[in-house]
Amino acid sequence: MIYLSSVLLLIGLLVAAASFLYTLYSLFWNAVKIPEKKIRMKISLPRRIYILIRNVVLQGKLFKDPSGGIMHALMFWGFVAFAGYSATFFVRGIDPSYELISPGIFKDIIFLTVDIFAIVVIVDVIYAVSRRWILKIPRYQGYNGFEAAFILLLISVLMVTYYVLGVLRMDGASAGIPGAIMEGIPPAFTPVTGFFASLFPAASGSGAVDLYWVLYSIHAIDFLTFLVYIPTSKHLHLVAAPLNVLLSKDTKPAQLTPIDFENQKRFGASDIRDFSWKDYLDFYSCTECGRCTFNCPAFLTGKTLSPRDIIWDLREVVIAQGSRARHSGIEEKDKILTPVIGDPISEEDLWSCTTCMACVEQCPVMIDHVEKIVDMRRSLVLNQGKAPKETIETYTNMENYGSPWVNDPSTRGDWAKDLGINVLSETQNDDFDILYWVGCVASYDRRNQDIAKSIVSILKKANVKFAILGSEEKCTGDPAKRTGNEYLAQNLATANIETLNRHRVHRVITGCPHCFNSLKNDYRAMGLEMEVIHHTEFINQLVSLGKLDLKSLESDEKEKFTYHDSCYLGRYNKIYEEPRTIIKAVTDNYEEMEMNKSKALCCGAGGGRLWMNETVGTKISHKRMEMADKINATTVVTACPYCMVMLDDARRVMGKEEKMHITDIAEFVASRLN
Amino acid sequence: MPYNIIVLIKVIPDLEQIKPNPTTGEIVTERTPLRLETLSENAIEAAVQLKEKYGGKVFGLIFGKPESAPMLKKAFAMGVDDGIVLTGYKGNNPVYTAEVLCGKIKGMQYDLIISGNQSADTYTGLLPGIISGKLGINLLGNALTIALEDRKIRVKSTLEKKIQNLSATLPAIVSVTQETNQPRLPPVMQIMAAGRKQIVTEAAQPQTMPGTVQISNRAPRSERKRQLYEKPEEGIAAVARAIKEEIR
Repeated sequence: MIYLSSVLLLIGLLVAAASFLYTLYSLFWNAVKIPEKKIRMKISLPRRIYILIRNVVLQGKLFKDPSGGIMHALMFWGFVAFAGYSATFFVRGIDPSYELISPGIFKDIIFLTVDIFAIVVIVDVIYAVSRRWILKIPRYQGYNGFEAAFILLLISVLMVTYYVLGVLRMDGASAGIPGAIMEGIPPAFTPVTGFFASLFPAASGSGAVDLYWVLYSIHAIDFLTFLVYIPTSKHLHLVAAPLNVLLSKDTKPAQLTPIDFENQKRFGASDIRDFSWKDYLDFYSCTECGRCTFNCPAFLTGKTLSPRDIIWDLREVVIAQGSRARHSGIEEKDKILTPVIGDPISEEDLWSCTTCMACVEQCPVMIDHVEKIVDMRRSLVLNQGKAPKETIETYTNMENYGSPWVNDPSTRGDWAKDLGINVLSETQNDDFDILYWVGCVASYDRRNQDIAKSIVSILKKANVKFAILGSEEKCTGDPAKRTGNEYLAQNLATANIETLNRHRVHRVITGCPHCFNSLKNDYRAMGLEMEVIHHTEFINQLVSLGKLDLKSLESDEKEKFTYHDSCYLGRYNKIYEEPRTIIKAVTDNYEEMEMNKSKALCCGAGGGRLWMNETVGTKISHKRMEMADKINATTVVTACPYCMVMLDDARRVMGKEEKMHITDIAEFVASRLN
Repeated sequence: MPYNIIVLIKVIPDLEQIKPNPTTGEIVTERTPLRLETLSENAIEAAVQLKEKYGGKVFGLIFGKPESAPMLKKAFAMGVDDGIVLTGYKGNNPVYTAEVLCGKIKGMQYDLIISGNQSADTYTGLLPGIISGKLGINLLGNALTIALEDRKIRVKSTLEKKIQNLSATLPAIVSVTQETNQPRLPPVMQIMAAGRKQIVTEAAQPQTMPGTVQISNRAPRSERKRQLYEKPEEGIAAVARAIKEEIR
């Protein structure tokens, strides 16, 4: 027998599903047809399944912001619980004779879960409304208020009508109506509905049946509206985000896609064809939640850079230009695909990024903002020769002197004169176990030379047979790479790899996290296999093996220590505990600053920013020093020469020289050797 | 209308890497890396900008040594179309340099010559003037801006305390300063295209150098006391004392 309600529901479902699938097809076909950037991925299925369970099923990364995380997780789990109910609703509605889930305890438990989660979701909607419109959580303000309100309305109507339909069912109003669902579920398995039913007198008669049909219709239309609305709004993330998490990058953090200069014709990202399909999935997964922006050091100090806006702007360009570009020839495509740099993404914003990865770390759906920013910098530098004036000077210096500053490269090892160490450029004596890669800052900067000397004294104390390259060492290319000059970075890397191979180097220790990351990750991607250790790891090993014996200083009693995480050590290479273990081995007078470990605030120097002027807003390094001051720290320990330069300068400019010291972990250890 | 522009490019030893012989004090430049003179980069930039605005071609002219060839590639990468390296540079002698350059330029079609107003290795600042005299063309020195219109050139020229507007008919020679422009970072495609270009070298004519000859080139002896003050207040006081003693 065919029922009118079934026919209407079927037509509604077909129309909504067609709209849903067509929009999705259009979006995902954009991601297949337009991108020209090629990326490689490993299958590594177990890891992907782990990440999927952790970050989608368990909503892991959302809890980096616990209050927002719990709100989203409850909503997500509620929706998962509701999925079985929704399927039953449509199947039974269209064919009342068909049971999608056979009656029994399994079905009863599913509906019990639905019954409980529906009220949880209602409470959660109230919580969400209060966060956005009453508590006015800053990161939501000004973004998609209408979309959020509309979707919360749809959700709450769905849940409320679910309960009212349930109450009417308990009153017997739906008895005998074909396609009514949840018939036969024991009242004990719908306790919340039962509770609501107990609050109201039982409805009966034709009025109750009419009310049932009205609510049934609203319930069905709500569902179908949701289906149509999802792919056209930020709720596209319901589809895109789980895929994005499953297909997240399997390389080391922030390893940039290499450029093949011999065979590629387009460098970096100028328009939307210069991104990869994975970047498109990133755009589609964004919900504008703003966690990235509200952890961005540039944004937090008054710059206009907002990683959220960069992703959302690119998404809008893809949606605006995508389908037209897909249906056009090459020449026409060149006209349709307009450059994204300038409008909507400003050059100033691209140069404000410190590549600190705080945005990437925070993003619950695993979007990589930093690679896109560097890709756009690459476009500016490699195609147009555009970069801040100071950066262009840095490139010239790196080319001429192998360091970002004007320094005679033959003096690179001068700091080590009289220390009696094996300087390979002078001795060519390859009899050493480990190479100490000094880096440009520690080689030439007066303050950082003290750190290099401390590392030497530690290595000597632990009887490590080591050498330095002296004038044969060049900048690793990190400042060039992160500012988009991949060409210069590759030239420097090639020269350094040749030197390292010539001296048969298999193990390297370095005091600079930027050199560390280049040697360990970027150079490995270029084929150089060697063990690369940061001095925090090495010192920690020496202490735990008993090769270094540390003592407390008398002054330690009066001090309060804190540790400032370097981004390239922490977020890039997950080294958080080693430096803390070393400090705590000596003193208990230790306190964390706000924003530490994976949430740490950058010093402002990464991504080539050490060599650029910071003229807009507050200086990032000053904000960090304020955080140290807030806990009354007397000594800030660092493990990065860039951080040392920035924080030491901030300390002087802010007049905190008397109050606070900045010391490297190597100096901290060297002054406490027994 | 398109213009043929000759840009004079000077290649110098990298001054940051020059070292005197510790015993004789003689400047050793044999193994010092070479680089483009900064003002030559400004001259190239000015020439390429004019080409981009009005059309035409830029020809780069280096008088140096065979090792200067890679610097011409850098000029190509910045937008210079063609060029030559004249070899046989025997040291600082602006009269001789001008003679060699003018010998080459006389056989060429050109509307405008652009060069730096001096160079960081010798600082004579004479070359644009001598070339102007030898070729009988107008010199518009220390140009901040350059504009062309038919056979006329207009230049905003900077002097120590004033800026003057100059105008002349072409052909002419213009010298530029560091303030004239910001030399561009060459795009990678152009760097790679420049790398594939052949460099033409030619022995300088005449071979013999007239006039003054450099007999020696020694660095002045400096006696540094190498005193290091860790605390600024002590350092500042020490510097003030030293200056007072010097004045006395």
